Amino acid sequence: MFNGSGTLSRTLAVLVALFILIPMLLVAVMSFGQGSSLRFPPQSFTLDSYAAYFKSSSWTIPTLNSFVIGAFSAILALAITTPAAFAFTLYDFRGKRLIRLLVMMPLMVPFIVMALAYFFFFGRIGLLNTMAGVIIAHACLSIPIVFLIQSASLKGFDWTLVRASQACGAGAFTTFRRICLPILRPSFLVAGLFAFITSFDETVVALFISGRAASTLPRRMFESVRQESDPIVAVVSTLLFGVVAAVALIVAARQRRAARPANR
Amino acid sequence: MATSRMYAEDNFKASRQIWRGAMRAARPWILLLPVLTVITVLFLVPLLGILRLSILGEDGYSLASYATFFTDSFHLAVLGRTLGVALIVTLGCLILGYPVAYVAARYAGGLGTALLLIVTMSFWTSFLARTYAWMVILGSQGLVSNLARALGFEPPQILFTGLAANIGMIHILLPFMVLALFAVMQRIDRTLLRASEGLGATRFQTFRRVFLPLSVPGMINGCAMVYIVCLGFYVTPELLGGPRDQLIARQIGSQIEQLLDWREAATMAAVLLAVTLVIYAVYDFFFGLDRLWRS
Repeated sequence: MFNGSGTLSRTLAVLVALFILIPMLLVAVMSFGQGSSLRFPPQSFTLDSYAAYFKSSSWTIPTLNSFVIGAFSAILALAITTPAAFAFTLYDFRGKRLIRLLVMMPLMVPFIVMALAYFFFFGRIGLLNTMAGVIIAHACLSIPIVFLIQSASLKGFDWTLVRASQACGAGAFTTFRRICLPILRPSFLVAGLFAFITSFDETVVALFISGRAASTLPRRMFESVRQESDPIVAVVSTLLFGVVAAVALIVAARQRRAARPANR
Repeated sequence: MATSRMYAEDNFKASRQIWRGAMRAARPWILLLPVLTVITVLFLVPLLGILRLSILGEDGYSLASYATFFTDSFHLAVLGRTLGVALIVTLGCLILGYPVAYVAARYAGGLGTALLLIVTMSFWTSFLARTYAWMVILGSQGLVSNLARALGFEPPQILFTGLAANIGMIHILLPFMVLALFAVMQRIDRTLLRASEGLGATRFQTFRRVFLPLSVPGMINGCAMVYIVCLGFYVTPELLGGPRDQLIARQIGSQIEQLLDWREAATMAAVLLAVTLVIYAVYDFFFGLDRLWRS
């Protein structure tokens, strides 16, 4: 069964990898097809659906909304959460465990529960079907992931640099701006990216609270596959997968290049 | 005179020290203020609002809606199905994910890197896109059905059944499992494996007696994560599953969409929340939640 070269485990792994990969490649094929979005294989191949996507405001507006909501909620989550990450690394205070649990709560509560909660709450305070409402909800849901990433990076931060900066006469703000920020920039970017994607991919809460006015891309995709057999959904899916695939390949290639001198 | 001035100076110094001490003690709270305010006002208040709704009867507070929930066979069936489906999906992810994580951890470079790349790509790809992909594959005009027709037999209905929903959920949650497994497997000490093989164990024995037990923490992390996400899954079962095998999240949605029954929706949400928090509590009791979040 397990022979010398581990053929069995490799074969299984490759098969599962195909199971993961093939559906996504299939969608790419669909996006060039003509006709119904659920018929495979497509009858003929064109770029019509791509043109239709960029021309149709019922798709471009939700796309734009998703970018705006993602960006604002990520910035908001970073601004709110980063000071807390500093507090947790720098100080010991009473109730630390409890507050940590509180900060992590949005990750623990199922999104469908929060969707219902925000639907009710925003209905009362008049934020239902507004961009502001979705931004606020998404910022809250991103707090835990931003907190985890920022805390992890602060743990490895060399605090003697801060003391050195202060010994040279820099104030707290200057120290933060000139020392902390440049060193922590990668972690800010990663945390911001995670928050952005949390928002960009979030469907359930958006489905409940965004309405027509602030409709996001996942909401539009959901409605599209549920109600119509509109081939544009294949285009959007392909574009989303294409961006991820391109970024992943670039990162992998860079890592390989970075690893090579070490191997020699 | 001199003593009193010294005394006053001491007093001044002491009060300054107290002030400084107070400032130092206040500092973490100043930094924590934004996040605590936002979590309380914009997260806890809505959440407690919905919980309050579930116990708010026509005349004052009552637990009547919970009594209804737990005596109604339909609701209990939905809850039971949700727990069962989550278990099937979790096991499916574990069985499919283990070989991938194993090969990725043991054969670094080449195949291992390629596997990780594919898993990461899937992880980051919109899960609606992946759900749509399964509609294309499993639909009555889709890949599987047309393949079956080409081979000369009439395909059964797959899309809009529980099976389709399970396949879709396994596909979407598989990357979580693989990454959780890989995070633990990667740290397994290679010298132990070499020692085992050096002492004459076969490759399979090394795997079963050394590698497998050491990978258990990853299995627990992955299963806990997948199970919890699966309990609250809304979109994929809604799009791929049939009307007869609804899960609890979908029930919450349809209570609001179709019946506008706030109280019942809130009750189901509270039950789902309670089940989720119990799983977290059990995990925390045995392993500590920090370990789950580190991965």
